[in-house]
Amino acid sequence: MAPYALSFLTFVIVPVGVALVLAFMQFDLTARDQIQYVGVRNFDDALKDAYFWQAFRATFAFVVLMVPSIVVTALAMAFGLNAMTTGRNTVRALLFLPGMFNVAVAGILWQWFYNGQFGLFNFALKHLGLPPQPWLSDRDFAMPSIVVMSLWWGLGGTSVILLAALQQIPRAILEAAVLDGAGHRALLHRITLPLLRPVLLFIVVTNTIGAFQVFGQPFLLTRGGPELATRGVVQYIYETAFNNYRMGYGAAMSWLLFAVIAVFALVQYRFLRRSAH
Amino acid sequence: MTKLGRNLVTGLMFLVAFLFVSPVGLMLVTSFKPESEVLNPESVIPRVWTLFNYRHVLGWAEEAPFGRWLLNSFFVSSSVTLLVVALASMAAFGITRVKAPGGGAFLGVVVASMMVPGQLFLVPLYLMLSRLHWLDTPAALIVPATAGGFGVFMLTQFMRSVPEAIEEAALLDGCSWLGVFLHVSLPLCAPAIATLGIFTFIGSWNDFLGPLVFMDSVRNYTLPVGIALYQTSYYTEYGLTLATSVLATTPLILVFMAYQRQIVESMASTGLKD
Amino acid sequence: MSPKASLALLFGVCAALGIMRADLPSFAGDRGRIELNFWNGFTGPDGRTMLRMIRRFNEQNPDVRVSMQRMDWATYYNKLMVAAMDGRGPEVFVIHASTLPRMHRAGFVSDVRGLFEGPEGVPQDDFDPYVLNQVRYGEKFVGLPLDIHPQGLYGNADMLKEAGFVDKDGHPRLPETREEFLSAARKMRKDLDGDGRPDVWGFALTLWRNNFQSLMPQFGGRYLDEKGNADLDNPGNVAALEFLSILQKEKLVPPPENGLGWVGYRQKKVAMVFDGVYMLGDLQRLNDMPYLGGPIPLIGKRPGTMADSHVLCVREGLDSRRRQASARFIKFLSANSVEWAGAGQVPARRSVRQDPEFLKMPVQSAFARQVPFMLYPPRTTILFELTLEIDLAVEKVMRGRTNPAEALRIADENAQRFLDRDRRERGTMP
Repeated sequence: MAPYALSFLTFVIVPVGVALVLAFMQFDLTARDQIQYVGVRNFDDALKDAYFWQAFRATFAFVVLMVPSIVVTALAMAFGLNAMTTGRNTVRALLFLPGMFNVAVAGILWQWFYNGQFGLFNFALKHLGLPPQPWLSDRDFAMPSIVVMSLWWGLGGTSVILLAALQQIPRAILEAAVLDGAGHRALLHRITLPLLRPVLLFIVVTNTIGAFQVFGQPFLLTRGGPELATRGVVQYIYETAFNNYRMGYGAAMSWLLFAVIAVFALVQYRFLRRSAH
Repeated sequence: MTKLGRNLVTGLMFLVAFLFVSPVGLMLVTSFKPESEVLNPESVIPRVWTLFNYRHVLGWAEEAPFGRWLLNSFFVSSSVTLLVVALASMAAFGITRVKAPGGGAFLGVVVASMMVPGQLFLVPLYLMLSRLHWLDTPAALIVPATAGGFGVFMLTQFMRSVPEAIEEAALLDGCSWLGVFLHVSLPLCAPAIATLGIFTFIGSWNDFLGPLVFMDSVRNYTLPVGIALYQTSYYTEYGLTLATSVLATTPLILVFMAYQRQIVESMASTGLKD
Repeated sequence: MSPKASLALLFGVCAALGIMRADLPSFAGDRGRIELNFWNGFTGPDGRTMLRMIRRFNEQNPDVRVSMQRMDWATYYNKLMVAAMDGRGPEVFVIHASTLPRMHRAGFVSDVRGLFEGPEGVPQDDFDPYVLNQVRYGEKFVGLPLDIHPQGLYGNADMLKEAGFVDKDGHPRLPETREEFLSAARKMRKDLDGDGRPDVWGFALTLWRNNFQSLMPQFGGRYLDEKGNADLDNPGNVAALEFLSILQKEKLVPPPENGLGWVGYRQKKVAMVFDGVYMLGDLQRLNDMPYLGGPIPLIGKRPGTMADSHVLCVREGLDSRRRQASARFIKFLSANSVEWAGAGQVPARRSVRQDPEFLKMPVQSAFARQVPFMLYPPRTTILFELTLEIDLAVEKVMRGRTNPAEALRIADENAQRFLDRDRRERGTMP
């Protein structure tokens, strides 16, 4: 534990500490002679900032759509892979393949798929005699489209983790249960799911954290549009800190996002923990 | 599950896999198209096949030393993977098995640190690395990467899902903690460790912002930064971008296949495979 | 293979690669040679042109070695800012004229007025005063404009010819007036499969704000008033946005979507777009693209377009040797900017624009005709926030969600709020 703790302290805790201080400063990279302590003003400003709330709504929409769909589909994929009679390794590798591509490249590809007038999807729909869809140009359509692309990109990884957990269940335990006359259902509910629970907790929590921090996919596909409907909190933070160079304000918004994620993660932890017993 | 059911599932999974892979296939095919044809949905299969994109990418050695970047990427990613796996498995063992005091609280802090948006670290980290004189050296990409919480959290949860009975027995037999760690826990968690290895390797391989910001010399770049040389803020050189990305991802696929074989073999050796 | 064995293998690979890396020759050699780092955002073909020019400079100047680092503009500005803050910035770098106010306030750009002095100096009157003013702060010049990149009109020659837009010799030509432009947009819009939805468009928007900003000067619009307060809802801007809203109401443009226009133009499904001269780099690589380029048509009361410049800057705090080498390099690039123009730029120097080689570049020289009528983005430190508001206003209008006056009123209100905040934080609130 010690070597990791050392690295963690140096490269995580120190920068985090700096970031915590920043949140209470007026810190503009382009005006370094006017850096000063401003108390909670940045937090105050954020709570009054309509764009911040809008960004939160966008992030929240992504989380609500993304987390349940990736957990459920990944679980299905893991069970599916586990039950396969042949070709399991091939299918696992193929599912995993999209996630190996850089998100920037994945974004280029999907932007072309989704392009409303000149893209691949609407071209295909047209040939099937169906009306074209406003994949990324409609405010209600854009976020689900981004979720689909994210699923394509991220599902393989999550499934592989769950499959590893499934296969790690010692065969002896399952065999013993079958000998005791347990059916498929009982096996699933009494043995498999309870043993899977810690890993499931890991999957749910990390995917929730990841979804709350979504940035790459909407940034590449829509730049946050239409009308900022898909500009999430992290993109807004990024623009504040690195396009407007207002590090202090960006840090304050990061801590507000942190607080929200922490509440969610805690609830999930309690819930998945308690139902284990 | 019945034999028929299993076969049905198998077929279904192949179908899903096909759906997932088709965009990748499209990318591969498109990288052989001339630029004037790339965005045309009417010809998914190229009308004209060309190696132009690959020749261009591999032939511009002066400013885009592809081989050198490949080497850098391999070096950085394998070092990061090695260190992350080693540090994370030790930390997870300490938390779940040795039950070091404060371990649970430490894990809580680690998981909480994952919730802070990473963009926030960039500037403090840059200033730290600058003081350490690590900028423009591989250390800047390798050492900070070992501090991430993902590996520790993942391995802790996996170890928690494995019954402790086996390790307790080994301890009773007079085995030391180190012995238990090396001979019992590591093999037991082999699938999880291999999975973490793959994830770390891929994550490090595809890291873009780190090499971009921390490296100053073109010869110290890694592959993703090289790919970005063909995307401008206004338009993308599709053919060149896709060709570079195919070239950059192929080694990753080979590594994955090697790891996958290892997962399968390690499961066979520990008798966990069904 | 056991986990231990595989870890050992990984370790071996690692060590071997480490040794191999260390053995590779390094460029550090040559004592006494002045090393200059040159950073810019020229990814893509223009960067390759720049690399060729640098190679030539290095050959001609054996005592200097310039090495270039390029990354796309968005990430480039982040890195430049972080590195400059730590005093590790490059000796020479390129930034857009529109970002100078922020770089200047941050103290990252040094005064280079020496470039204009002496017998070897760059003559000041070789620049248009409007362009030179972009880099001037009182007596100081904080950079040398390398080029000008105006927005202009691109057209598909085949489609224009088919629609009857030809000159007296029968060659396809671009529309030049409001009426011609509208009739071209109408004529070239086609519903090929008869499903009631056009498949080919006469015109499409590319980057919303740039399209609008190109029309602003034609109607006498502006960004800020004399006191530096936001003036986005002035009558000129409203009239310019009204024109775009007519295109939307008459369904002469496809529904708005990011990056859509250019993709369609490349696919030959859009006949005309407004875009920057730098997009030529993309078109030049398409072997079967019959493109034409020229000024934005006269849609408003007078000709006009939006433009910006790439400015060559020198870092603050260099020793005199490096400063001199940087000056030599900058003068070299400026003197040879006709080669740079080939990558899709208009040279900033008048003499270079008279070069026969430049006059032979059809699109670049046609775009250059707009130089007297250009409007640069405003000189403000809240540029990013201001242009985002413009983007939003154009988007709302093109979706038919609000009228131009209202959209610009909201944008103006927000922009003024950002300006006030910036002044308050700087302690310069009047």
